[in-house]
Amino acid sequence: MPIGGFVINVDPERIEESLVRLKGLAGVEIHGSDSKGNVVAVLESATSEDMEKMVKDIMKIETVFSVGLTYFHAEDEVEKKEYRKK
Amino acid sequence: MGLSRREFIKRTAALTAASYVGMNLPFTNEKTVHAADADSWHKGTCRLCGSGCRLELGVKNGRAVALRGIPESRTNKGYLCMKGMLFYKLMGNNHPERLKKPLYRARKDQPFKEISWDEALDIAAKEFAKAVKKYGNDSVAYYGSGQALTEETYIFQKVMRGGLQTNNVEGNPRLCMASAVGGYITSFGADEPIGSYTNFERASCFFIIGSNTAEAHPVLFRRIMRRKLDNRDRVKVINADPRVSPTSRIADLHLQFEPGTDLALLNAMAYVILEDKLYDEDFINNYAVFRMGKEKKQVDFKKYKEFIKDYTPEKAARTCGGNITPEKIRKAAHWFAKSEGTMSLWTMGINQRKRGVWANNLIHNLHILTGQLCKPGADSFSLTGQPNACGGVREGGGLCHILPAHRLVKKDKLRHEVERLWGIPEGRIPPKPGYHTVAMFEAVNQGKIKAIWINCTSPAQSLPNCDKYRKGMKREDVFMVVTDIFPTKTTELANLILPTAFIFEKTGVYGCTERRSQLTAKAVDAPGEAKPEVWMVREWALRLAKELKDPVIKKCVEPFLGKEPDYELPKAIWDEYTQKLTKGRDNDLRGATYEVLEKLPDGVQWPAPTKEWALKGGTDIKFVRGLDPLADKHAKNELPFQFYGPAHPDRKLWIWLRPQKGPEEMPDSQYPFYLSTGRIIDHWHTSSMTGRIKELMRANPYAYVEINPKDAEKLGIKPGDMVEVVSRRGRNVLPAKVYVGPCEGMVFVYWHDQDEDRMINRVTKDAFDPGSKEPEFKICACRIKKVSGPKPLTPFLVQLKA
Ligand code: SF4
Repeated sequence: MPIGGFVINVDPERIEESLVRLKGLAGVEIHGSDSKGNVVAVLESATSEDMEKMVKDIMKIETVFSVGLTYFHAEDEVEKKEYRKK
Repeated sequence: MGLSRREFIKRTAALTAASYVGMNLPFTNEKTVHAADADSWHKGTCRLCGSGCRLELGVKNGRAVALRGIPESRTNKGYLCMKGMLFYKLMGNNHPERLKKPLYRARKDQPFKEISWDEALDIAAKEFAKAVKKYGNDSVAYYGSGQALTEETYIFQKVMRGGLQTNNVEGNPRLCMASAVGGYITSFGADEPIGSYTNFERASCFFIIGSNTAEAHPVLFRRIMRRKLDNRDRVKVINADPRVSPTSRIADLHLQFEPGTDLALLNAMAYVILEDKLYDEDFINNYAVFRMGKEKKQVDFKKYKEFIKDYTPEKAARTCGGNITPEKIRKAAHWFAKSEGTMSLWTMGINQRKRGVWANNLIHNLHILTGQLCKPGADSFSLTGQPNACGGVREGGGLCHILPAHRLVKKDKLRHEVERLWGIPEGRIPPKPGYHTVAMFEAVNQGKIKAIWINCTSPAQSLPNCDKYRKGMKREDVFMVVTDIFPTKTTELANLILPTAFIFEKTGVYGCTERRSQLTAKAVDAPGEAKPEVWMVREWALRLAKELKDPVIKKCVEPFLGKEPDYELPKAIWDEYTQKLTKGRDNDLRGATYEVLEKLPDGVQWPAPTKEWALKGGTDIKFVRGLDPLADKHAKNELPFQFYGPAHPDRKLWIWLRPQKGPEEMPDSQYPFYLSTGRIIDHWHTSSMTGRIKELMRANPYAYVEINPKDAEKLGIKPGDMVEVVSRRGRNVLPAKVYVGPCEGMVFVYWHDQDEDRMINRVTKDAFDPGSKEPEFKICACRIKKVSGPKPLTPFLVQLKA
């Protein structure tokens, strides 16, 4: 289960409504925000494919300007993907 | 995974993100065992665009498992995009389709079979030697890449030029950056941007033309966006592009001009700058001259004013079409000229033009006229698409007309200097430049090139009008070696496929857009028998020396003999290149040793002649006394700026008189639409890598043709319908995306798809800029027609036929 730490930049003039929208998405934990529109979020998903979809859904919110990844952990997935011969 | 460990990782993720924006969270992870997320962390550079984002790769039990940005890095400040987030999936044993064994077939219609490295290198050496003996030195060629490490490009070109005595050394940056090189040299006298990314935080006006920065350079775009949002009223963003893209989201002004009218738009902005007296007379008097024509004839300001009279905003608005009005041109020119610091940014929209060098010149003109250079926030800044087009190919001698460290092949003095530094006899490097890219593959078509080594790129898909050039690559009398990490459209045409190590599986330097060289050291093992290219070239050269009984070929790799290939060998190559070849040149990198690079979170910007200077990060802004050590060293007067670039003996910036010129092929009654091509955020170039990351592939499994809703309505095309795109050269059939992206009369297709029906370079045109020789990918004429309703499609990637 991949885990990602993100800084999401939202329109500083529409922070509240952006937070409501973000909190409505499954798998998104909001850890804080500031007046410049920086939102600290942790995304957790079943696969990194789902993570990518979540990021896309976030980008679709029209008050979101960018989604910046700062940390990504996917050890479980890599382990599962071991392609052992035999 | 136990809950506590998972919680730990989540907290780490939250704390990392919070630290970027100086936010305090109500918890810490101190005193917890850090081994929970990775055994070790390794600094390196993302490979998937030219931004040069720095990150650390987390390795556990020998496998890449995690990534984190490096917040101290001056390129990305720690942020990464989605491509950057997922590329660890291609490393080591993480991906089952990696090439792991050398593969060979004598004939291209046979299946490949696995062979040993000894056999493979023997075959490569024998075939190249055979061609040289029978058809001469210019019957062999190297075609490289802006994704190869600097050490790789350098050693390949050394063996080709010094050893095999041919300048047939080219690379795919010819397809993306050559016009920017031409522009910098003819306008400023020296290749590569004057300033740095630091200008993102200092600029008050951004002029983004022919670049979808938001998708192609998302992490850099983040910095531009931050600057804009933090200074909404003070900072203006102008986006000039025939297509509305995600970059337009933050623009105050969108100039949507018709394809191929960019030169008129830029000249019209200059017109307004002259008419409204917005130019900086002192700057022009001190630092600039006016020139025109092939002979670079110097003319005076009066002549330039007369020339520009033809570009009134009213007339230009008619030429440019789209949404362009005289008022918009005036507004853009005023914002540009009057801001405290204006930064222009562009990529392929400007470079991939029949007159790409001219378009570059005209952007530079605006900066020179208004003195928007060499001061905080002011810069004329071309963005590169590949991670090492600048560092490896432009600086390392990876094009047919240039030797390492910005030396021209045709200059006897510089050529002999290189021969001396290499310790090979004078006259060994031929004085004539080799074939440029289109000419090289034309020579393959004509059977003039008999053996070619293609490294880390896929011309069978990336060349314009690629069917024409695939014919040559298919010839049985052309021996093709291809080095890569995955099967591609080009490995399909090879005789010999050599599996290479990927980034973090070998050691070497990438030089990103802002003149910054950054080291990535090996962190995980390459899969199977994949090897670093530097090892292959050394071993191949030794065999060539024997086959051709030529000790000079051996001499080219002598300094590197006996070195262990994962670290010592690339280090020795880097040392030779930086300490000997860049000494005294404008890209002096002597201070940027591996030792220094390892100490820094990011890397070093040249010029960096000493270690002390390099340890500070090098030179942020070129040509400014007190900021650039070479500006002080080469100073000829008391002026604060010293334009010492090697190509302008008069030490001036050149303002060019360049007229509007349309594309090579204009729409007509038979082919009434403009066709333009480009990238989408998830995929990179030929998708040989991003297509193999299933998250990215599923997000965008195939290419579309984007059609303006008005055109779609006229032609009865609905979203998802299958549409035929036909030019005089070829045909694609793709699903339609009806969308207010392209302007009316223009369609846009992504170029990553490997499916024969959706490979748009079968349709594009191979016209090229007569100066830079860069092809005009961005514009040709086509017609479109609905062929059916929506159809289920399957994504396609070349698989190995062994
Ligand atoms: S912006 Fe470019 S270099 Fe940075 S993470 Fe994305 S692909 Fe990699």
